[in-house]
Formats: sequence, structure tokens, C-alpha cells
Amino acid sequence: MARMAREKWYDIARDLDWELSYVDYEEVFPEWMSGQGKVPREAWAGWDEPYKVTYPEYVATQREKETGAYSVKAVLQKSRIFDQLDEGWKSVAKEHFGAVALVEDLAAYAELRMARFGLSPAWRNMATFGALDETRHAQISLYFPHALVGKDPQYDWAHKAYHTNQWAVIAARATFDGMMMNPNVVDVAVQLPFTFETGFTNVQFVALAADALESGDINFANMISSIQTDEARHSQQGGPTLEILVEHDPRRAQWIIDKTFWVSARLFAVLTGPGMDYYTPLPMRRQSYAEFMQEWIAGQFVDQLHDYGLKKPWYWDEFMAGLDTWHHSLHLGVWYWRPTVWWKPQGGVSPEERDWLHEKYPHWEEQFGPAWNVIIGNINDGRIELTLPETLPWLCNLCHLPIGTAGSPRNEKYPVRSYPLTYNGYTYHFCSRPCRQIWWEDRDTLYDPTVIERLLGGQIQPLTVEGILTWMGLTPEVRGEDAYSYRWARPYAARRRPGDRPGDRPGGAETGTRDRGGQAAHTQEPAGQGQPVPVNALFEDDFVTQLVVVRDTDTVDQAARKVAAQVVGRRVPPRDAGLVVRFDGMAVPGDITVAESGISALDVVNVGWAGGHQ
Amino acid sequence: MSKPVGPVLRMSDDVDAIVAAIVDDNPGREVTVVDRGAYTRVSGDGELRVTRESIERHLGRGFEMRQLEGLMSAFAGRIDMTSEEVRWRLKSGEPGAPA
Repeated sequence: MARMAREKWYDIARDLDWELSYVDYEEVFPEWMSGQGKVPREAWAGWDEPYKVTYPEYVATQREKETGAYSVKAVLQKSRIFDQLDEGWKSVAKEHFGAVALVEDLAAYAELRMARFGLSPAWRNMATFGALDETRHAQISLYFPHALVGKDPQYDWAHKAYHTNQWAVIAARATFDGMMMNPNVVDVAVQLPFTFETGFTNVQFVALAADALESGDINFANMISSIQTDEARHSQQGGPTLEILVEHDPRRAQWIIDKTFWVSARLFAVLTGPGMDYYTPLPMRRQSYAEFMQEWIAGQFVDQLHDYGLKKPWYWDEFMAGLDTWHHSLHLGVWYWRPTVWWKPQGGVSPEERDWLHEKYPHWEEQFGPAWNVIIGNINDGRIELTLPETLPWLCNLCHLPIGTAGSPRNEKYPVRSYPLTYNGYTYHFCSRPCRQIWWEDRDTLYDPTVIERLLGGQIQPLTVEGILTWMGLTPEVRGEDAYSYRWARPYAARRRPGDRPGDRPGGAETGTRDRGGQAAHTQEPAGQGQPVPVNALFEDDFVTQLVVVRDTDTVDQAARKVAAQVVGRRVPPRDAGLVVRFDGMAVPGDITVAESGISALDVVNVGWAGGHQ
Repeated sequence: MSKPVGPVLRMSDDVDAIVAAIVDDNPGREVTVVDRGAYTRVSGDGELRVTRESIERHLGRGFEMRQLEGLMSAFAGRIDMTSEEVRWRLKSGEPGAPA
């Protein structure tokens, strides 16, 4: 039987709506949920989705997609392909599953909120399909790794991660709650479908599929690119919503995009960047992370922004510069703090990989090479304990990523530093000016204490590395370790690169390398030796700021050595020089006490070499 | 190409036929194809279109336009979809629109 073409009846069916008679419009679509703002009610009647689909079409297409994805899985499960996958690549998949699977579930709720509170029947119809899509994504993203749990317990974190307080999960939860659950649905449509799903998810689900296929993980490539075909459709809720918002309140539209873009970019620098540029085996890398971001974000997404009459975000130059640094810094952090993640970070800095990094990122060697040289030296000298953390990096109050990772060492324009803000007598710390500004604008809707704040607030007991890992839910069998037992560092033991000193032994500095009495966050000191003063400490040329607990009765020299003990000989080479502390921009005499210096809890303290930068 | 628009197709046996159909349906317009293995990016400047008729001709079998969804992981530009045709375009590329 011939069927009437969809476009001959679709609009009438789609626009079916109620005229309310028993309740007021505002009760059905309350402002705090629907977010109409300055847009007149009648304007929403013009909401027109460009990517149209009927329910029978939807069911038929989804059935075909599911059949395709699950039949590939069924065939490959009988093969040995998984066992032959590179360990570094497996970590890309593990990180993805843990960070993404239950966010898909969260996205189903975001779609359902739009399906209920969206301001036009066409929008609500499309959001209903979106909710079904996201349910499929959550299911498939849990089902695929579930088959692998018996081979590797880290895959269990596909389901477990979001039920823990692991630091990256806290960062993701803060970002996605802010994108999907906290805002009204107009903001959700501009944040989630428009900014996130037409921008960033393409990098994780389409671009990453290219690396997956090259790495032989056909199953993963097939699954994520199948998921993204749904996203390509339901993300089109963003455009019509944005078009109406831009017409009536362009300032709000620009702000929603700007803030969402920034927090997404920060999160993707840890979610996607290390996987593409370090974990994926070198011969399998299709493009660098920066190149993929150029293709999908700086090119495609910005064209789209302009097409809606919007501008690039105000921090654009800083974002573009960050494509060369953020994810390198975050990779170094994830690798150094590897027991705190549920995957096995591949160091990825062998001589050949390093050449590739230098080719793709001309400043990599200058900015990150020195820290890796110290690490490599320690590995080859058997001092693995110096490549493992004894304290935590200080975390940004907005993006929850380590402070310093929005810059890089030896980078004059975007240096490693904290951007503090004291508000109502409490000092918040941020990784960047944009994070600080977004927090300030949205401060009334944000409540996610960082791991550092939870630690200082006494939620984490005991205050040891073991206590922190346990609090994060990381049982011993899933804690991250180097993917290849440091194989990548071995060639340096026999081969010296010009200008490198990876085999040099630390020593000779008048610092914590000689006096290893460094007081990490967890170090217990005898009672009666003054009050603990947790500070946000940066050591010159390091890549993050860290929590270091000094005592108010310590001399400033002693405090400096406690900071140095967490850095020198670990990521910064020792030097035959004394230390100097700078606080509030002034050098502080070494022989006065911390209390006398005015340094107090949560303050930013900078420690460097006496005699200045060399 | 100052305003590239068009589909990003995921790996499948049908990619070559879809690309050939796009080339057929956009005479006189430069079509760029970038193959990255797991995905193939097809771009035209300002606008691209593809018809069901051309896709069927190249596939050698029947094709419903809804089936394109299962092959298309993403696209650049805005999309208009009917039972017979899909168009990708940028509004600012339309006559009279600001550049």
C-alpha cells in the first residue's frame, strides 16, 4: 500500500498540542524549568526541527543500527581480537566507558526534561526520541564493556565510576550536572544538543573512531560511531532553540555557549587528549588531538556559531593556545597520579613518540621535556617511588582539574599559576580566568566541593594516599599503573638525546632531595608542633600547584623544603641553590615562622630557586 | 573552501555509493572527500544535496531516505531532510544573507 509522503502530514501531526483550561500556562511550564526568559510565548510556535523523523521511521532505523552494532560484537567476541589489542589503546576504551556510560543515562533525563518542559510540541516530540536514543547509548556502553570484566576488572568501572568520588568523575559530574540537570530546558538545549553534541561529542565519538579502527578495535569503533548517528539527529534540537533565543536574547545565547564550550574543552583535554596523543600506539594515530580539534571544533563548530549570528567566545585565543598544552599537562598529571585512575596510562614518551610530539607540538620539548627527563631518570635508576605522588594537586573550583593544567611550564602567556578569588571570606582557586569568571556568574547554582576541599574538610580519612584512594573507590586491583611497566623509558638508559639529561641522578640541591623530610598532605607529625596550614603551593617550573601542609611554627625555610620535597627530583631537576618563598608577590625571609609571615590556610605560596630563574 | 558543509559518513559498504550520488547531485560544485578510515568527510562549499533517486541508482537497490541516518555520524552545516532529498547548507551562504 502506498504511503503518504512524510512531509505531507508531518507538520500537522507534530504540532498537535493542548489548549490549557484547568491550569495556568505558568504552572505547566514554570519559568525555572522552561526558561522562557525574554522570549515571547508565541515565538516558540516557530520552533522547527530540521532533521525530521516519524516514529515508524525511528523504530526501523534504530533496529537496523542495533542489529549492526550487536552482530559485529557477537562475531568479534568469538575471535582473539581483544587479546591482541594494545594495552595503551585499551586504556582509551576504559577511560571512555567509565567517563561516558552513565553520562549517557544522565542525558536521557536531560532529554526527558526537554520532552516535558520544552516550549513547543515539535521540540517535545524530538526530545522524546532523544531520550530513547540516550537510553540506547547507556545500555550499549554498559553492555559492551561488561563482556570484558572477566578479562580485566578495570572494565567494571564502566558502571562503577559514576558511583564513586574519583577525581575525574567529580570533574565530569560537575560539568554534566551543570549542562543537563541544573539549568532550565532552553539552556539545556543550547548547552547539550547545540554546544556539546554538535561540537565536542564528534571528537570523542567520530574522530576517536578513526584511531580505534586503526588500533584494531573494530567493536569500539563500530559502537561509538553508531551512537553518534543518533546524536547527529537529536542534537538538532539545539539549532531551532538557539535561533529563537538569538533573536530575542542574543546575550544570553552567547553566554550559555561560551561557558559550556569552555568547561567542555577543559574536560575533553583530559578525556580525549591523552588517549589520542599518548595511549594510541604511534603507528595507529590518524591525527594529533590538536588536529582533530582543529577539524571538528575550530573549523566546523565555529562556522556553525557564525551561521547563527554569534561570535567566537571571548577567551578564544586562550582556548586555541591550550590545544598545544592542556592535554599534555593533564597527561603528565594523570600519569604521575596514575594510582588514582581506573585505566593504565601509557607513558607515551619513548624517543620515537617524543619525536612525534615535537613535530606536532613545537613547544612540547621545551615545556614538558624537562619534567619527563627527571621521571625517565628516576625510572631507569629504579627510583619508582619518586614517580608516584605523596600529595594531591590543588583543584580548580569550577572545572575540578589540577591548577596549572590550563597553562604550561616556561609559558609566559599562560603560565602555571592559580587564579584565586576571595568571596564571603573564603578563598576559591581556579585554573584560569575563564573558569573564575564562569564560577562568579553562576556561583549560586554551583555546589561541588573539590577533592581538596573535601580532604581539608575531614571527609577523607585517614589522610594517607591509601585513604584517599579508598575514598575514591579505587580498590587495589583496578588502580592505574604504567601500561607497559615503563618499557617506553628504557631506551633512554642507553641513548642520550642532545640536551637531555634523563639519566642524571638528582642530588646536590639544598632542598628536599637531600632532606627528604617532605611533609605531604598525609604525613603525620608529632602533636604539639604547631597548627597545620594547608597551602596551595607552586614550585618554580613545575606543571601543577599542589596541596602542601606546613605548620604555623615552621620557619619559612622549612616550609619551602616541604614544598620542594614534592617536586624537586620528581619533576624538576635539582639545583645547587637555596630556596626562596614568595607570598603576595614579595620574597619572604627564610628565618621567620609561617605564622609570622602571614601565610595562612588556602593561601597561594610560590617557591623558587634563590638567584632567580635560570 | 570557505564554508564547507556536508555529511560525515561512518564506515560501511555503502559509503562509496553515497559519495558518488552526492557528486552526481551537485554538478558544477567542487566536492571534497577526506577518508579517515572510520569516517569519510564529504564537503561542498556553502551547500550540498543528495537525492534518494541517485543513491538508489548507485546502490542498485531500493533506499529509504531515513536509512541515511544510520550511515551519517555527523554533518557540517544545517540539514533539511525530506523523503526524497537531503540538503546541507549554511544560512549565511544563502542569497541576501550576511557573509
